[in-house]
Amino acid sequence: MNRASGSDLSFETSGLVKRYGAIIALDRVDLAVPRAAVGLLGPNGAGKSTLLKILLGISRPNAGTARVLGQDTAGDGRELRARVGYMPETDALPDNATAADFVSHMAEMSGLPRRAARQRAADVLYHVGLDEERYRLIKGFSTGMKQRVKLAQALVHDPELVFLDEPTNGLDPLGREEMLDLIGRIHRQLGILIVLSSHILDDVERVCDYVVVLDGGRVVASQPLHVPDEKTADLHVRVDGDPVVFLRNLASLGIEARPAGIEFRADELIICMDGDRTLDAIRDASAATGAPLRLLRPATRSLEDLYVDSVGSAANGLDHRAPTEAR
Amino acid sequence: MSTAPAEYGEIFDRGYLHYDGPRLGQTHTVWALARYSIARSLGFRRPWTAKIIPMLLYAAVAIPVAIAIGIRAFVPGIEFLDYPALFGAIFLLVGIFVALIAPEMMSSDRHDRLLPLYFSRPVGRGAYVLAKLLGAGLLTLSMSLLPAAVLWLGNGLLAPEPLPAMRDSLDDLGRIVVAGTLIAFYLGAIGLMIASFTGRRSVAVGVIILGFALSESLSFAISEALRDQPDLVRWSFVLSPLRTVMALVGKLFMEPELDSDVSLNAAIGVMMAVIVVCSLVMFAWYQRHD
Repeated sequence: MNRASGSDLSFETSGLVKRYGAIIALDRVDLAVPRAAVGLLGPNGAGKSTLLKILLGISRPNAGTARVLGQDTAGDGRELRARVGYMPETDALPDNATAADFVSHMAEMSGLPRRAARQRAADVLYHVGLDEERYRLIKGFSTGMKQRVKLAQALVHDPELVFLDEPTNGLDPLGREEMLDLIGRIHRQLGILIVLSSHILDDVERVCDYVVVLDGGRVVASQPLHVPDEKTADLHVRVDGDPVVFLRNLASLGIEARPAGIEFRADELIICMDGDRTLDAIRDASAATGAPLRLLRPATRSLEDLYVDSVGSAANGLDHRAPTEAR
Repeated sequence: MSTAPAEYGEIFDRGYLHYDGPRLGQTHTVWALARYSIARSLGFRRPWTAKIIPMLLYAAVAIPVAIAIGIRAFVPGIEFLDYPALFGAIFLLVGIFVALIAPEMMSSDRHDRLLPLYFSRPVGRGAYVLAKLLGAGLLTLSMSLLPAAVLWLGNGLLAPEPLPAMRDSLDDLGRIVVAGTLIAFYLGAIGLMIASFTGRRSVAVGVIILGFALSESLSFAISEALRDQPDLVRWSFVLSPLRTVMALVGKLFMEPELDSDVSLNAAIGVMMAVIVVCSLVMFAWYQRHD
């Protein structure tokens, strides 16, 4: 449902280098990222926010070029910035303004006429769940409400692509769930491309279908998520009922299977793919044991597997768990 | 979507609608930012505490004008306050007003971390500075130009023959407009430049007021030190906003008491140069923001 534009790519970079004094924030970053919900993943200091700022044209690279939606960030900066939105990581809100005034003002800053800006602000604040509160001063808002205002100002001018920098920062578990749902809907239902920068694996895994992993300013992975593991091409299955009986039945049909592992539910299984007869056997075993199938999909490598393979260690500042679990 | 009876109307979930209306250009965004900055500085749509000081300053600047018009109305023939004297009387208030609004316009954006949000929009850094300059200048006009313009109007209306009197004093109105506009943008540019360096409003207010005060002392000290070099002393007014403004007003209104050895062109040139230099410093400063 993505809206048409001149390029097949969300963004692309070539030889991008950014230095802050002696520190190299980005080191020859070459990327060609398709139109998708893109996760920008990496530990703190990996260069995610720097990359976002260069893509937005806020920061200038020392070397290299970047294009977003087919437009050069340096040459076509103004036109490009009318087509994208940005939700920063920091608390970038005026305390003593109302949400409606501020979001409407930011719409005008993107070129919307005054009347349209007020209307859009009301609509978008309603959409992010701040309908009743929009005439209250922002300083009285909770962290979750402030995050929603930041999201609303990023969406108010109806961008084609929105950059979200750590959008679940500081949110409680419920707020985090709501924010991730909202971001997912923005992409799936509204057709707005997203680039989500986060250090939380779970956030990226839940919302994105393409991931770029940065580490120490370098790209260590850039690939679609949820791609079947070519080495095994196994199947991931969940059944209602007794998985042990189901497993025994599959074995009797000559199909090899095993529990999915400790990170999954007890009734989830990995079944070794052996041609079409595997699918027939699953159907027959399900019917024979009276255990309905609840899930049948290609077994994929988890994002954590990808990250560990790419970076070498999952423990250098990357949080693979949701905030509540991390605590 | 509603289950309510038809006579109560229906509720529709409009969902999210894409925007396909017009998108205006840079002139619109500059004006929108200037207008928003003006409204915020005056405390519009903010708690009443944010409105008190601007309103008190407006009241203070209105007092001499009201007295002058009142005396003219009730005691004909007496001119209590001429235009140069009015500009002299309100200079301090205009300075305080600038010290109040400039930090609200510049330091607040830095404090609230709004700069990345602005710079991620079509409005560029140069346009941002231009909008703030426009906002500060236009707002300060309400302090520097409006009182003198009201006094001119009062003088004209209270004359025995108002229309001829106003027609005869159109030159004065022109001088008022020139002086008021130059003072507004000159002081506004200085205030904005100082405020752009800090995100702390109170610090910016203090530095602006202190800067105006110290500039007088510095200008005076240099004049004293260089007493035997009159050519240099003549230019020491450049360091003092008060002396610069009074030199402009004195020459514009040909006021003998304010006659200095600074020419009108020199005074205007210095004020324009200060506006340009302050703007360039801000342009350069915001280009550095990463």
